[in-house]
Amino acid sequence: MPDWLGNIIGQDLLDGLNYITNGKHLMWYASVRFTIIAALLGAGFALIFGLFGAILLNSKFLPLRGIGLFYSNIVRGVPDVLFFLFFPLAFEQLVEWFFALSACSAQELAENIGKWPPCPDAQWFLGTYEYLLLASVSLGIVYGAFSANVIYGAMQAVPKGQLEAARAFGMGPLSVLLRVHIPQMWIYALPGLSNVWMLLLKATSLLSLLQIADIVLWADRLGAPNYLKQVGLVHPDWRWRYYLVLFLFYILVTYLSERFFNYLRKKLGRGMVEA
Amino acid sequence: MANIIELENIEKSFGELKVLKGISLSAKRGEVISLIGSSGSGKSTLLRCINMLEVPNSGSVKIDGEEILLKGNGERREPADLKQLHRIRSKLGMVFQTFNLWAHMSILENIMEAPIHVLKRDKKEVREQALELLQKVGIADKAHAYPNQLSGGQQQRAAIARALCINPKVMLFDEPTSALDPELEGEVLRVIKLLADEGRTMLLVTHDMKFAKELSDKIIFLHGGKIEEEGEVKEIFENTKSERLRQFLAASGH
Ligand SMILES: Nc1ncnc2c1ncn2[C@@H]1O[C@H](COP(=O)(O)OP(=O)(O)OP(=O)(O)O)[C@@H](O)[C@H]1O
Ligand SMILES: [Mg+2]
Repeated sequence: MPDWLGNIIGQDLLDGLNYITNGKHLMWYASVRFTIIAALLGAGFALIFGLFGAILLNSKFLPLRGIGLFYSNIVRGVPDVLFFLFFPLAFEQLVEWFFALSACSAQELAENIGKWPPCPDAQWFLGTYEYLLLASVSLGIVYGAFSANVIYGAMQAVPKGQLEAARAFGMGPLSVLLRVHIPQMWIYALPGLSNVWMLLLKATSLLSLLQIADIVLWADRLGAPNYLKQVGLVHPDWRWRYYLVLFLFYILVTYLSERFFNYLRKKLGRGMVEA
Repeated sequence: MANIIELENIEKSFGELKVLKGISLSAKRGEVISLIGSSGSGKSTLLRCINMLEVPNSGSVKIDGEEILLKGNGERREPADLKQLHRIRSKLGMVFQTFNLWAHMSILENIMEAPIHVLKRDKKEVREQALELLQKVGIADKAHAYPNQLSGGQQQRAAIARALCINPKVMLFDEPTSALDPELEGEVLRVIKLLADEGRTMLLVTHDMKFAKELSDKIIFLHGGKIEEEGEVKEIFENTKSERLRQFLAASGH
C-alpha cells in the first residue's frame, strides 16, 4: 500500500490494510479456488452418481435395484469425514498396489512385507490437484448417495400418465427415460438437491484433512498467535476472528446458491406444476 | 374390407379381479366404434390392451393384419419383440381421459415429439403438419404455450392433434371429454366428429350416449368383462335385446 494512503485513511487503518493484503493473506484468498473447485466438481460427480443411482433404484431388474439400494443406503450411513479420510488413501494404495505388481521385483515384494509401498518405484506422489480430484470424487460418492435418493423420489413423483403417453406413442424405455422421465424429474428433485448441495458445500471445509492448503488451513495458520515482528503483525490467538470470516464466506455462498436454485426452479418449472 | 383392429378372446385380470373375460372384436377401415358400459366394466382396460399399456393374460391383438408378439403366460405375459411393439404403437393414436400432454414441452413440441423422435421424420415437414393440425383443432394461437396454460378443452384438442400427427391407422379415445367441464365438451366433440366424418378408423370409450349415437357405426356394450351386446347404432338403441343394456340406457337417459 502506498504511504500517502495513510494520510487519508489514518495510519492504523493503513496498517490493517497492509496486514490483510500481505503475501500470506493473498494466498489465503487464492485458496478459495480449492474450495470452489471441490464444491463444483464434487457436485458434478454427485449429480452423475445420483442419476445413475436413481436409475438403478428405479430399475425393474432386481439385481440392479439391489446395487442401487446398497449404494444409497450404505454410503449414506458412513460419516463424510471418515469417508473423506478413507477413500483417497484407499484409492492411492490400490493404485500403488497395481504399480507394485509390475515395478517391484519378486524379491523386494517378499522382503518388504508390512512396508508400504513395497519398493520405492511403486510410490505414487500425489500433488494438490490430484488430492483435490480425489476429494471431489469422495464428495461425489457420499453426496451422490443422497442425490440418488432425492432423484429416485422425484422420479416417482412424475405423474404416471406422462410416461404412459410416451410409451403409447412408441417410445422405447431409454427414450421415455431421457425425453420425459428425467426432464420432468428435476422440478421435483430441486428442493432436495439444493439441500444436498448445501451439505456438500459445508463438507468442503474438510479439504485440509487431505493436506490441501484450503481456506480453513490458512485461517488456522494466520490466526495462530504470532510474537515475532519479522513474521508480520504481532497478535495473540486470533483464530476465532478468522473462523468468523469463514462463517461469513459460507453464509455468502449459501445465499448465492439459494438465489441460483430459485432461478433454476423458475426456469425448470416452465409448464410444470409448481413443486 | 380388411380389419384394422382384431382382438381375439382377450382376457385380463388384476390379481384376483377378472376384468376382461374373453373379448373379441374387430374394426374395419373407416369404422367408428363406441365402447359403452358402466363404470368399472373394463372399457379402459380393453382399450389399453390394444396398445399393450396393459398386456392381456391371454388372447391376441392384431393391428393392420400384424399380430403383436407376446411371450410368457398369464400374469407374466409380456411383449416378445419390443421393436415390433414400438412400431405398432406408433400406428395407434391414443387420446387419454386426462390429456397427458407432456408438461415440460410446448404444445408444438408435444405434437412434434413422436413424429421426429419415434418415426424419425423430417423436422420441417413435421412442423408444417403440426401447425396445420393445430389449425384444424382450432388452437393455432397456442402453438408455443405450455399445456398448463391451456383450458382443459384446449389441452384435449392439442392431445388429439398430437395423436393425429403420427398419421395413425386408428385413433383410440378413452373418455376424451369426461374430465372436462360441460361447456368445454362441445369443442372437443366437434373435433372428434370432424375426424369421424373424414373417414378415420376410431375406437371411442364414452359415457355420452347422444354422441355415441350420432357418431358411431357400431356400438359395443361391455358388462361383467364380456360383450353383452353389440350392433349398429339403430339396432342398439331401437331394438335393444339385453335387459342390462336396456337398464343402462335408461339410466343414462335413453
Ligand atoms: N392397474 C390396475 N390395477 C388393479 N386394478 C385395476 C387396474 N386398472 C383397472 N383396474 C380395475 O379393473 C376394473 C376395470 O377398470 P377400467 O378402468 O377398465 O373400467 P372402465 O370401464 O374404464 O371404468 P370407467 O368408466 O370408470 O373409466 C376396475 O374394477 C378397476 O378397479
Ligand atoms: Mg375408464
